[in-house]
Amino acid sequence: MHLDPFELHRPSSLEEALRLATAHAGGFDYLAGGTDLLPNYKMHLNLRPHLIALDAVAELRGRGLERLGAMERLADLERDTELARAYPGFADALAEVATPLVRASGTLGGNLLVETRCFFFNQSHFWRESLGYCLKAEGDRCHVVPQKERCYATFSGDLAPVLMALDAEAELAGPGGRRRVPLGAIYDAAGDGIRRHRLGPGEIVVAVHLPAAARARASAYLKLRVRPSFDFPELGAAAAAELDGGRVRSLAVAVGGLETYPRRFDELTAPLVGEHLSDDRLRAFSEAVMRAVRPVHNTFLAPDYRRKMTRVYVRRAVEKVRERSGAAA
Amino acid sequence: MSGLRALVRLTLNGHPVEVSCPDERVLLDLVREELHLTGTKRGCDLGTCGCCTVLLDGRPTLSCLTLARLADGRSLTTIEGLSPGTGLSPVQRAFVEHGATQCGFCTPGFIVAATALLGEHPHPTREEVVRGLSGNLCRCTGYAKIIEAVLAAAEGR
Ligand SMILES: Cc1cc2nc3c(=O)[nH]c(=O)nc-3n(C[C@H](O)[C@H](O)[C@H](O)COP(=O)(O)OP(=O)(O)OC[C@H]3O[C@@H](n4cnc5c(N)ncnc54)[C@H](O)[C@@H]3O)c2cc1C
Ligand code: SF4
Ligand code: FES
Ligand code: FES
Repeated sequence: MHLDPFELHRPSSLEEALRLATAHAGGFDYLAGGTDLLPNYKMHLNLRPHLIALDAVAELRGRGLERLGAMERLADLERDTELARAYPGFADALAEVATPLVRASGTLGGNLLVETRCFFFNQSHFWRESLGYCLKAEGDRCHVVPQKERCYATFSGDLAPVLMALDAEAELAGPGGRRRVPLGAIYDAAGDGIRRHRLGPGEIVVAVHLPAAARARASAYLKLRVRPSFDFPELGAAAAAELDGGRVRSLAVAVGGLETYPRRFDELTAPLVGEHLSDDRLRAFSEAVMRAVRPVHNTFLAPDYRRKMTRVYVRRAVEKVRERSGAAA
Repeated sequence: MSGLRALVRLTLNGHPVEVSCPDERVLLDLVREELHLTGTKRGCDLGTCGCCTVLLDGRPTLSCLTLARLADGRSLTTIEGLSPGTGLSPVQRAFVEHGATQCGFCTPGFIVAATALLGEHPHPTREEVVRGLSGNLCRCTGYAKIIEAVLAAAEGR
């Protein structure tokens, strides 16, 4: 499989990258590790004439407990024992992204913005042409939910749910300036599903910031996938909590691999604050999360199974957090 | 649009090379088709098999998903560069002696990835080998002999 021709740019500063983005507005993609973008390009999915490689932009690097540069490679984050101690749930998730070889090149920023996935989209050009394309690339209908003018491709990144549960913020830089938003706000929950994020034109994820509160929380991430290496999540459940002798000081739960965007359930966790995190409460909570999610049939496992397993994985993730906080049921 | 090329200079298995390369060429194609080193294999071409693994500045790298131009100025080691002047490297020898290769198609990728793994963990546990090589697929051996070979190479057996 050869890639179709494009022009490759390799800026050495953020300013230069943003200038290139403005110059080629509408006709470029940023390239980080390439482990998501290049397979998609090989399948002729939404090709652009310009690629702007971010590997030489020093400002996108660097890692510490408070700030993780977007161009940090997953393998390097995984090796960082200080990070693993502070955020065990993040370490859980890192170890489950793809394979060690993919993690050697894949980056944090690329993982947060990984293209959404679907049976009918992640196929060769020949395959898609035979069926008649779809809304997400070249076509005008959805093969999964044909009644709707919307795409239901699944958000399949492993790191976003746990970082969202830790109250992470995304630092963004665009041609119009800089801003910092809660990580969850970069995903387009209200959109058409075709475009998976709500970054402005040319906007770059510079870094992820973790607040002091994140270091006070225990965290965990559990992933359901078909092969225990390689496969994208069919469901990923993240939990982070600060428990005070079994009582909830703070609790956040987020899931990925189920819908078009990763999702946090603040309305369901809020009533648990101040309460004892008993098995009964936890069961009722996990049941409520299961009822809230709406997977569709566009990944390997059946949506009904993924919903039922959501209940199990959410419960187990919170139990693991409880265990890691040294709190009893 | 086509035909944009740039000069790529790299150290290939210890020797400097300079080659003109189109922007969209991946390292795997550069190595196999331009530099004529065919030990590095093309399996899936999509990041899912590990056959194409090379070392870039010592790091295991999937050459099918790496643009060749981004290797400019770096040191590239392919399976051909792992053997000493004559004979085999310890990992190569262990693969032969433990019957860890059958059709041989996955072998270069496994050997490169295992060499990097042992560089980082000179005395790995079995679990570390299994996890560390979980990005390489083999359709023949059933993996048991590959894991044995890597553990044996680590112990100098
Ligand atoms: C075999 C295989 C298995 C995989 N399994 C998993 C898995 O289990 N879980 C998982 O989460 N992922 C998986 N992936 C996907 C991917 O490898 C990872 O998500 C990886 O972290 C992506 O990072 P990257 O740097 O390679 O991204 P790239 O491919 O370089 O980029 C991905 C997207 O993000 C954009 N982008 C990248 N960085 C920035 C930035 N800083 N600012 C703005 N935009 C940016 C790019 O334009 C592109 O659209 C798998 C991939 C393969 C090949
Ligand atoms: S959910 Fe529908 S529109 Fe989206 S990728 Fe799948 S088939 Fe295409
Ligand atoms: S050929 Fe590169 S991973 Fe399969
Ligand atoms: S020996 Fe044949 S694929 Fe591994």
